[in-house]
Amino acid sequence: MGYNISVSEFLESRDIDYGDFVAYVNAETRRLNSKLFFFQSVCELKTVEQNGKLSGLPVSVKDCICTKGIQSSAGSAILEGYKPPFDATVVSAIKNEGSQILGKTNQDEFGFGTFSVNSGYGVPKNPLDPERTCGGSSGGAGGITAAATFPHIALAESTGGSISCPASFCGVVGLTPTYGLVSRYGLIDYANSLDKIGPMGKTVDDVALMLSIIAGYDEMDSTSLPEKQKHYSTEGGIKGMVIGVPKEYFENVDEQVSKSVWNTIKKMESAGASYVEISLPSTKYALSAYYIIATAEASTNLARYCGLRYGLHSELKEGQSFNEYYAKTRSAGFGEEAKRRIILGTFARMSGYRDQYYMKALKVRTLVINEFKKAFKKCDLLAAPTMPITAPKFSDIQKLTPLENYQMDVLTVPPNLAGIPMLSVPCSSGKLPVGMHLMADYLQEERLLKAGKVVEAVK
Amino acid sequence: MIKIGLEIHCALSCTKTKLFCGCPNRVVGEPNTITCPACLGLPGSKPRVNAAAIEAGIKIGLALNCKFPKEIFFSRKQYFYNDLPKNFQITQYEIPLGKDGFFETQEKRIGITRIHLEEDPGKIIHAGGDMIKADYTLIDYNRSGVPLCEIVTEPDLRSAQEARIFLEELSRVLEYLEVYDSGREGALRVDTNVSSGSERVEVKNISSFRDVEKAIEYEIKRQAKIIEKGSKVVRETRAWNGSQTVSLREKEAEEEYGYIFEPDLTRTAIDEKAVKSLKKTLPEMAADKVKRYQKEFRLSRETAESITSDLHLARMFETVVKDVEPKLAGSWLAVQVPKTLNYNNLRIKDSGLRPEHLIKLLKLVEHEKITEKTAEETLRKIVLNPQDPENLVKDMAKIFDKKELEDAVNEVLASHPKAIIDFKSGKKEALNFLMGQVMRKTKGRGDSATIRDILKKRL
Repeated sequence: MGYNISVSEFLESRDIDYGDFVAYVNAETRRLNSKLFFFQSVCELKTVEQNGKLSGLPVSVKDCICTKGIQSSAGSAILEGYKPPFDATVVSAIKNEGSQILGKTNQDEFGFGTFSVNSGYGVPKNPLDPERTCGGSSGGAGGITAAATFPHIALAESTGGSISCPASFCGVVGLTPTYGLVSRYGLIDYANSLDKIGPMGKTVDDVALMLSIIAGYDEMDSTSLPEKQKHYSTEGGIKGMVIGVPKEYFENVDEQVSKSVWNTIKKMESAGASYVEISLPSTKYALSAYYIIATAEASTNLARYCGLRYGLHSELKEGQSFNEYYAKTRSAGFGEEAKRRIILGTFARMSGYRDQYYMKALKVRTLVINEFKKAFKKCDLLAAPTMPITAPKFSDIQKLTPLENYQMDVLTVPPNLAGIPMLSVPCSSGKLPVGMHLMADYLQEERLLKAGKVVEAVK
Repeated sequence: MIKIGLEIHCALSCTKTKLFCGCPNRVVGEPNTITCPACLGLPGSKPRVNAAAIEAGIKIGLALNCKFPKEIFFSRKQYFYNDLPKNFQITQYEIPLGKDGFFETQEKRIGITRIHLEEDPGKIIHAGGDMIKADYTLIDYNRSGVPLCEIVTEPDLRSAQEARIFLEELSRVLEYLEVYDSGREGALRVDTNVSSGSERVEVKNISSFRDVEKAIEYEIKRQAKIIEKGSKVVRETRAWNGSQTVSLREKEAEEEYGYIFEPDLTRTAIDEKAVKSLKKTLPEMAADKVKRYQKEFRLSRETAESITSDLHLARMFETVVKDVEPKLAGSWLAVQVPKTLNYNNLRIKDSGLRPEHLIKLLKLVEHEKITEKTAEETLRKIVLNPQDPENLVKDMAKIFDKKELEDAVNEVLASHPKAIIDFKSGKKEALNFLMGQVMRKTKGRGDSATIRDILKKRL
């Protein structure tokens, strides 16, 4: 019995035996997970179908998004066993529409990584080639989205590229919405001024459907934008649209990747758009600014994990001070990369260094934002490769220094720093997928979806 | 020259909810029951600013003649301590809510450096002793997130007594603004900086004004001894333990808090017009009331000061004086009412005493229906069990009847022959003694003028 149908086919179909479907999905998810480690934990779907716009649809939720009563640990061992007493706003939204939580997808600890190798719960493997990474930090989300032989949409999260990167490496669609369009209430913070929840799916229609459900104002998140919930359409094409192609985004990019993206741009031209080469000179500063701001915020966010109230506890020895106890718990619970980012981020905000690093990075951020704003005065969209490479092998990842690791984010970081929406869509027909990165001005998600739909069609 | 500056943490009691969440702003309750994910700092929770707390802060700023910025924002102050759920405190750093103000006591003008809003940490209970001797420590997070207004003065105070007077008068102003409740535990916590020369010493967390005075006196003497010996006072933080200040830590430089902007909150505009209209709603302060009562009601300064020491007394006076002769109303609200309340350990706002009660009671005195002595007895009953005074004084009408009073005088004289001799030998106090005895005989209901006349005649 096969259920390899699209989300829309599933939602429209009236003759699916839901009990049988659930049994299949549960078994298939466990099978996939035992080989490829997409999940921190798999949830057993219930056989009762709820009504709504996502009636009965399995939705996976990234581990950093709080699910009531289900361990939510953001990929970190320090939160092992932590079951939140409340649902994130996005989780309430999908539950209200009748979907079921498939499981909590694996990720780099707190989002700290590009290849999902920094997880406390195993390393997700790329379903197209298990020797390669799914990308990160939403690696589990990307992997299950690509591998699922049943209709499914993933809720993922991006701080500096964590939706786009795995979408690119796994050959699926990933949408990172405008900062503030989707509520962050219930999202375990990496860097609050950068974190965005967004959907991943097999098709542009899938992510558009999910966005229509999770976007909109939420009073529980002060940074939530005053946007009404609406239906996001993917129809309408790109006739007359001007696509900006930033030249800096093709420097040091793998030739195959570059070629695939350019081919697609040409095809978009045939579909009625025009393109113009532009320059975004502050691109080279964006990565440094990002890592300073993100780690500065992260180092304060992670301060609360000390073994006192929830998550990992350690043994308290007679005569130990609370500081010693905290240090012991944190040393045991955080992985290497988390420790590195705590140290980096703490350094960047210490008096004496604060002006030089943290404050300066905030200025660079403004610069990057202004540059995008300027570009969107003459372009409707920007197009670039999502990642400079295709999914690398784990054996090659091991050879990277931390800095080389960070440099992998060079193309996804600038739009994330600016908070503009972006969509990664597969654009090559080769063995390993290549993602095309489409970026638009604030709240122009619909424009991205329409263009993404065209890319899907011409691929 | 001795320089003293104060940092005052005032718990704002006027808001319905805490500073960054919807929990009720009250601290009395079973430990850890007045909490939610936000004030417990659970992963995924987000703060939301309470606009009422900002308004209260602006009122304080206005009363302290502060300047306000165009917009405010919050920052994270990060340090590890077990009463701090997130291990950072949301406070204000770069731009405080108000700055460059001043406060005038009767004696001098004290500069106000800044005022800002921040969240209160939880409360630590060292079970079975102090921080060193306790067997274990309990934490109650009911207080976590209660809005605090920190008020920082310039080092303009010159003595312990000046500091106490400043605090008393400041506390009165805060009470008049109705932002603070002096009856709440830990409602006003004070840190003080004392400098006798070059280095300043901080004494932390003193909770009563008397203790502030004692701690400063102790610190001034301690520093004087050090200087006398030819040594240098070291810059350090000390704690007041009730009888002396003890060193907590020496500091080479400023403490390191690694401030960053609170990325979960947006900026809040301070509207100039709103500030102006708030200014119009500020109540008449105690000092102004004292002047007005002297002028308008011909009260003595002492009486006026006594009434205005408590906003609720002053309010009651202003209602009562509409119907009752000012001298009588004034003396009752300055003396009998506070005395009766103190005796019963009640605060006027917690007692059942209403202006109507007092008006009726004092009218009875004014119309010579009852004596002041009777009125005072009646008041005692009213504060414990609010009721119509006319019902209480039914059998206590004032006695003018000469015959009845003469009988009482005769009985008293018959049983106190020694007092008669004393009086005749020139001891004038004997008359007062006899007056008292007659009053007692008449259960306080005899008209004192008539009694005096009869006594004088008989003697």
